[in-house]
Amino acid sequence: MLTTTKRAQKKRSEMTFEKCVRCGSCMKICPIFDAMGEEQYSPRGKLYLLQVMDKVESDPELAKEFRRLLFQCAMCGRCTDVCSSDVDLLRIWHEQRARAIKDAPQEFAYLGALEKSLENVKNIYGLSPEDRAVYWLDELEQEIPNLRKRVFPEAKTADVVVFLGCLMSFRASQVDVLRALFKSLEILKVDYLVLGAEEFCCGHPLDLMGDEAGAKKLRTHNKRVIKQTGAKQLITCCPGCLSQLQNNYNFTGIEVLHHTQFFDRLLQSIEPYKQTEEFTYHDPCELHRICNVKTEPRSLLKKMGVQFRELELSCCGGGGLLRMTDPNLSDKIQQLRAAREKLSSTTVITACPACREQLLGNNLKTKDIIELLVTCLSEAKG
Amino acid sequence: MNIRDIVIGANASIYYRMDFRKIKGVFYPRTDEQVQEAVAWARERGYDVTPKGGGSGLSGACTGGDRDRVMISSLQMKEVLSVSKDQGYVDVQPGATPDEINVLLAPLKMKFYVTPSSRDVATVGGMLNTDGGGNDAWVNGTMRDNTLRAKIVLYDGRLITVEQKSVKSSDSQLESDLNSVGMTINDVASSHGTLGFVTELRLSIRPIVQERLIGGLAEYRDSDELGSTLRRMIETKSPVKYGEAIVAAHPDVRGELRPPELILEFPEDYASNLENITHFRKLTAEELAKLKDVRLKLPKRNPKKGLQLALFEDYGFYGDGLKMIQEGVAGIDLLLKKHGFVPFAKYGHAPSKWYLGNNAAAYGIILHSREIRPEGITKAEVFKAVMELVDLCEEAGITPKPEHKWPYNDKVKNDRIQQIREVIGEGFNTFVLQSDCNVVLSSMV
Ligand SMILES: Cc1cc2nc3c(=O)[nH]c(=O)nc-3n(C[C@H](O)[C@H](O)[C@H](O)COP(=O)(O)OP(=O)(O)OC[C@H]3O[C@@H](n4cnc5c(N)ncnc54)[C@H](O)[C@@H]3O)c2cc1C
Ligand code: SF4
Ligand code: SF4
Repeated sequence: MLTTTKRAQKKRSEMTFEKCVRCGSCMKICPIFDAMGEEQYSPRGKLYLLQVMDKVESDPELAKEFRRLLFQCAMCGRCTDVCSSDVDLLRIWHEQRARAIKDAPQEFAYLGALEKSLENVKNIYGLSPEDRAVYWLDELEQEIPNLRKRVFPEAKTADVVVFLGCLMSFRASQVDVLRALFKSLEILKVDYLVLGAEEFCCGHPLDLMGDEAGAKKLRTHNKRVIKQTGAKQLITCCPGCLSQLQNNYNFTGIEVLHHTQFFDRLLQSIEPYKQTEEFTYHDPCELHRICNVKTEPRSLLKKMGVQFRELELSCCGGGGLLRMTDPNLSDKIQQLRAAREKLSSTTVITACPACREQLLGNNLKTKDIIELLVTCLSEAKG
Repeated sequence: MNIRDIVIGANASIYYRMDFRKIKGVFYPRTDEQVQEAVAWARERGYDVTPKGGGSGLSGACTGGDRDRVMISSLQMKEVLSVSKDQGYVDVQPGATPDEINVLLAPLKMKFYVTPSSRDVATVGGMLNTDGGGNDAWVNGTMRDNTLRAKIVLYDGRLITVEQKSVKSSDSQLESDLNSVGMTINDVASSHGTLGFVTELRLSIRPIVQERLIGGLAEYRDSDELGSTLRRMIETKSPVKYGEAIVAAHPDVRGELRPPELILEFPEDYASNLENITHFRKLTAEELAKLKDVRLKLPKRNPKKGLQLALFEDYGFYGDGLKMIQEGVAGIDLLLKKHGFVPFAKYGHAPSKWYLGNNAAAYGIILHSREIRPEGITKAEVFKAVMELVDLCEEAGITPKPEHKWPYNDKVKNDRIQQIREVIGEGFNTFVLQSDCNVVLSSMV
């Protein structure tokens, strides 16, 4: 019914989607279902469609509709987390997405542009690779005088490599986080370098589209450059990059860390944060569920003495390419959360550039943990 | 056919592979008026109406069988409309789940006490229509005990409010007719969507009692010893607040479980009385929480190899039946093995309470069962096994909980529903009452 390649499709993920007992536990926790309210948007609904595929007549319109549904998913992993029946939903979504793009590339032309941009200029914005260390460097060079010398290949080796990722390299909205990150590293006298134009996209967007070959090319390049630096640690502020670097790069002799892990390990105690505003903490899905980094962000906040309200472990709506595939739905998810969890009266602390974009885009105040940390470190330094 | 119509078939029972062409429309109303409009749409075209909640029911009743039908989902009717702490009730739309209701009640230190294991997805509308209960149904009752009234849209579009002892309607003739047949909330309980669409419920809520509870684990030589313990607990009106029996568990999911065993939570000062009834080991809070979690997930776990399914959800042992759990389970397992199934897990709320088709309360254990599906088995063979299990239960005096499934198998309940439908009209979930209901379901295995 839904595609012409039923048999192949079944073979690939049968043992996992057939395990679904349709109990419905993954339904109400799914941000897409929460926003849309109908079964077809729920993880159970989508798995059910796979289970009964053979009962439904071949129909190109149905197939098209199903493919669209596959990309109405924030890939937040909450469904996988809640499922007690060993259904690896995230894996299924990955496989099915790859299949969908292969079956009907014309329906994903907008993703084709992204794929091309990654192939040609190695970033998601289609900008020149040389610009990767231009915007933020112009902005921050005066405040952090040695910063240019920290950029590869001018800096050749260092103990720590900072992997910025596309969002942080190109978006003006991320400069405050970068400032805080570099200043913290300087204050703590960390020997670090930034990859600059030699950093390619980590491959995460291609992974989300199921383009394994494209993602592999990007990985191979990044891995080679990172090896050259002789670094022992690789840190990133982006949980999407982290998930790739940790799970798909197979580094040996290099420890891959989220910046909250790096600073939490480095600092036993921290000068208290002078808090004047109400804070909430939002766990980035990819950090919390996919990379399993749960304690370090909280530990850092505790060391700084920051008081905050925990938010529901729900998605900001910005993951899984949803901002591209259905921006209205992506915004709706955030707006529903903002109303339900009364976010407009607080500053949402988080630790992910994509969540930051999503929060700012919906007119909410947000700070990365590193922005709080840098004020504590500067205070201590006097 | 469109995806919206197909996907409405998703449900937790083994009956999920239906003829999707017979689904003529799917509605997700938000208000009573929208429910009435959806019902009118179906009525004008001569279609049956099947209400659906969370689709967690295990009887297959929320599928609507094989009728040309319109599906009405309550998933967008999930508002808590009002709370009266003083009078102890909450008015809710039918699509709210116990978890959703209790999140809102928590700041008021109040609770809705019917919390089945499926409380994250089961809707109160669905729970009333299956008379669901939690592992504390023994002390807190089932859905019918906790529903003060239910508003229902009938097939002809009229509204009735069914209370615990009577019915109200703005149509005085209808009100009088229904009261003369003595319709009450007992009739709606476990009616499986055959009477109408429940659009609002008034549910009892009570304060959250700050009682010091402790956990205990009792292990038994065999299931009859467990059954005797349950009998004594029932006779002495034991105040256990949480009781779960694990009667059997396959090595793939057994972990630290040592069935047959009973996981209990009870007031601390009851411990010495309980010792007179059964030996047990006290559990730390962490141990209890861990065991509760294991039990909660048991219905959903899969074996390392192959897939599990629930052939026949409820084996009810009560009264003298509690003396023969061992024999009953052995008979069931023999039959399962004969058909190539591997027994996977048997567990259930115990001591528990449920109602029989004649509205009499039964006290005992409702045993849920999961088995590993043999590879390559046909749906006809699966259904044959189900039907043999039904026969075996009838012969052995094991009573399937009629509220939960097989309403068509309980003659008393079936006749009563037919009697009421003679007054209110037919058109809601008719397949459940058809004589060939089994055949219909078997086609959907
Ligand atoms: C993992 C798991 C654990 C479970 N644990 C328990 C347990 O502990 N205790 C227990 O009692 N049950 C349990 N169940 C069974 C199930 O959750 C209950 O039967 C529940 O009451 C069904 O509610 P639902 O909203 O999912 O209803 P559905 O499955 O959608 O429907 C059930 C019936 O109610 C009717 N219905 C639904 N909504 C309405 C409405 N608004 N108006 C009229 N009719 C309606 C349907 O037509 C159908 O006949 C469990 C199920 C699963 C999968
Ligand atoms: S929680 Fe797991 S078994 Fe339950 S419906 Fe979702 S995927 Fe299926
Ligand atoms: S990954 Fe997140 S958005 Fe996607 S189906 Fe699962 S819970 Fe829903």
